[in-house]
Amino acid sequence: MKRRVAISMFMALTLLLSACGNGNGNASTGGKENEGTEGSGGQAARAKISIMTPLHMAETPDAKIEQLIEEKLNVDLDIQWIPASTFPDRMSAAFATSSLTDIVNISITGANREAIRDGQFWDISSYIDQYENLKKLNPEVLNNTKVDGKLYALYQGRPLSRQGIIYRQDWAEQLGLSDPQNLDELYTMLEKFTNEDPDQNGQKDTVGLAERGDLVSGAFKTIASWNGTPNEWGVMDGKLAPAFMFPEYQETMEFFKKLRSNGYINSDFPVTSKTEQQNLIMNSKAGAYIGCMCDVQQLYTGLAQLQPDAQLEVFNQVKGPSGKFTVFSGPGFNHPYLFPKSAIKTEEKLKQVLAFMDGMMSPEIANMLYWGIENEHYTVVDGMAVPVKEQGKIDRDVKPYNTIEVGDSATNNRLEGKYDYAPMQKAQELFADNEAYVVPDPTLMLDSDTFTKHKDRLAQIITDATYNYMLGEMDEAGFNKAVERWKSEGGTQMIEEFNAAYEQNK
Amino acid sequence: MNSQLTLSSGKRAHIMRSILKNKWLYLMIFPGLLYILIYKYIPMYGLIISFQNYKSYHGILGSEWVGFEHFERLFGSPDFWMIFSNTIILFALQLLIFFPIPIILALMLNELRSEKYKRTVQTLIYLPHFMSWVIVVSLSFVIFTVDGGIFNSLLEVLGFEKINFLLKEEWFRPMYILQVIWREAGWGTIIFLAAIASVDPQLYEAAKMDGAGRIRQMLNITLPAIKSVIVVLLILKIGDVLELGFEHVYLLLNSTNRQVAEIFDTYVYVTGIHQGQLSYSTAVGFFKGFVGLVLVIGANWLAKKYGEDGIY
Repeated sequence: MKRRVAISMFMALTLLLSACGNGNGNASTGGKENEGTEGSGGQAARAKISIMTPLHMAETPDAKIEQLIEEKLNVDLDIQWIPASTFPDRMSAAFATSSLTDIVNISITGANREAIRDGQFWDISSYIDQYENLKKLNPEVLNNTKVDGKLYALYQGRPLSRQGIIYRQDWAEQLGLSDPQNLDELYTMLEKFTNEDPDQNGQKDTVGLAERGDLVSGAFKTIASWNGTPNEWGVMDGKLAPAFMFPEYQETMEFFKKLRSNGYINSDFPVTSKTEQQNLIMNSKAGAYIGCMCDVQQLYTGLAQLQPDAQLEVFNQVKGPSGKFTVFSGPGFNHPYLFPKSAIKTEEKLKQVLAFMDGMMSPEIANMLYWGIENEHYTVVDGMAVPVKEQGKIDRDVKPYNTIEVGDSATNNRLEGKYDYAPMQKAQELFADNEAYVVPDPTLMLDSDTFTKHKDRLAQIITDATYNYMLGEMDEAGFNKAVERWKSEGGTQMIEEFNAAYEQNK
Repeated sequence: MNSQLTLSSGKRAHIMRSILKNKWLYLMIFPGLLYILIYKYIPMYGLIISFQNYKSYHGILGSEWVGFEHFERLFGSPDFWMIFSNTIILFALQLLIFFPIPIILALMLNELRSEKYKRTVQTLIYLPHFMSWVIVVSLSFVIFTVDGGIFNSLLEVLGFEKINFLLKEEWFRPMYILQVIWREAGWGTIIFLAAIASVDPQLYEAAKMDGAGRIRQMLNITLPAIKSVIVVLLILKIGDVLELGFEHVYLLLNSTNRQVAEIFDTYVYVTGIHQGQLSYSTAVGFFKGFVGLVLVIGANWLAKKYGEDGIY
């Protein structure tokens, strides 16, 4: 009897499950049929394309541009906007439940790299040349995305380095300061922004630097590279060693420790979010911001609302003690686009998706993804795109689509920009200026099994130690102990593996 | 209980008859059973991956079997004792500091004479329960930050040193438990108030006749009357030993307090979801569940030993 109950329960369950399955199947085919009949005048059924991408804004954008793309490329587009702060987590969850979309916008490190090696993504090496636009992609950047010499990804271009300082020009002027030419001048600037009442309200209520809890995109890595610290890995006595083993890294921590103990930086910076950090500038509580100079537009928009006569300035060439200017560089691309086999089952479908990506790279669509709709979000003056004044509209309608651009202005021929706001225009020029001074990450093209598997776990040891050092909770001996721990838990192996690969690639 | 395992045919028939007789009751329990089966028992199948080198794209059947490797790694890791003791300490704080507070609050509410005042207070102290941890933690961030937070500004005005509540290891536990109390203490009174309401009023009248004051009534009537409720809730609480509020701790966790703030839940999340080591983090979660089970059985045994009902 018991068994019969069990069997009937099991049957009920399977029935339930299969019913659900059928339901889904019906719904999707039904949808397709409808589109076929409704679609614009007897065109072939639109290809369904789904894509996952991070969203850096609080709200999903207006669907207008999405609809225009669907029309132009004759596809049925499904964009899944995922808040950027939880993007990596959501990606691994999607991976684990095999609910990836046709196109995924993810990194090629860590567990993803293992999955690539395991053949979970389409190798597109032999396809890319068949597409008019895709073949224009920069071979060097594509090379940076390769795994074991095979091409799995398309990329969206990024300037190699957008790092620099944004500071309150009106404050600086009044205190007799100008662009900080080196780290000492930077220190003086932050000191004076704190101590000499730059807002002239008679109260000591400002700090020099607004920083957030992010050792990479915040100020730390930029200042470290100004100070001559290598980009993640550097060559020490002919061998590769991680950046934190270099004396310059320690000096940078010391620099921050001094800033903090003197109160020239917001003291709670390890737990400060990007929004809070930007608020410090927008509310005139802090005078300098170090990171992506592209943020100047957003900072100014916020600042001008409260203080219409405030001025911001951007600058990049802060020199280190050696008298040379160096700044770390990114890989030249942002999240690459990968094509999971779990979503794209057939070669035919892959070709459909690639044709879509090819369409995304056409100048017309590329402009739309980057600038928006002509005369609504931007106007063309002398062959350059000039965004309209209403930043809010651009943020709402266009900005999120930037993350699904394919290639960059050099490869997809979208319009170059001309910004009304002078510091933003200057920032574009400084991105280009940075290119001559960038320090690349030498391990970018090298492989280490330990790095692939344990990168994040090991990095956390160093991140924790770095913060504790800057806060004065840990001394040099303590930091060295953390380095030893890093080594013993896999770091030594990582160094060996990278060096072996380095020798081979030489 | 054991007799059911060796059923004689007569007994079996007897059980069948009783099932038939109460068939509607059995039918009513069915959805509940189904729920537990689907959401609690079937997912246990997934525990298999803690003995594998699980790759989601190969599935459970296709992944490589590695036996106890992940458990060995966990117990051999220098992090293990840190996480274990952090978890136990936070649990002890919950049990010793937080657990009695709703009882005391309920007893105090019970003593209020004005019904209107009592209801107002009750509503007010229930409110924080409906705020998400994100809001609670952000609020305390704003209040306790060194950079212009209200509390530190107050300290400064009064001539004290500023205290860095957010970045000092030693402040993590007080902040944690205070936030738990602030959010949950009021809500926790509900069950105790219900238990108190069911006490026979005659007992109080009799005690009054004997000249017992309010304190005496509270200690000798109210408390003993709700004792069994307290014990059951205590056992349930112990069962939750390792459910210290993932969201809450995760929001408070940062580089400077990790040594005291990392608990099993956050560790499982970071290693599993962040770093993609699904098998390892499943092993950690498995171990956590096992500890919880042992504690519940232990607590239940203790309760029975001291003459209470327990939960099963």
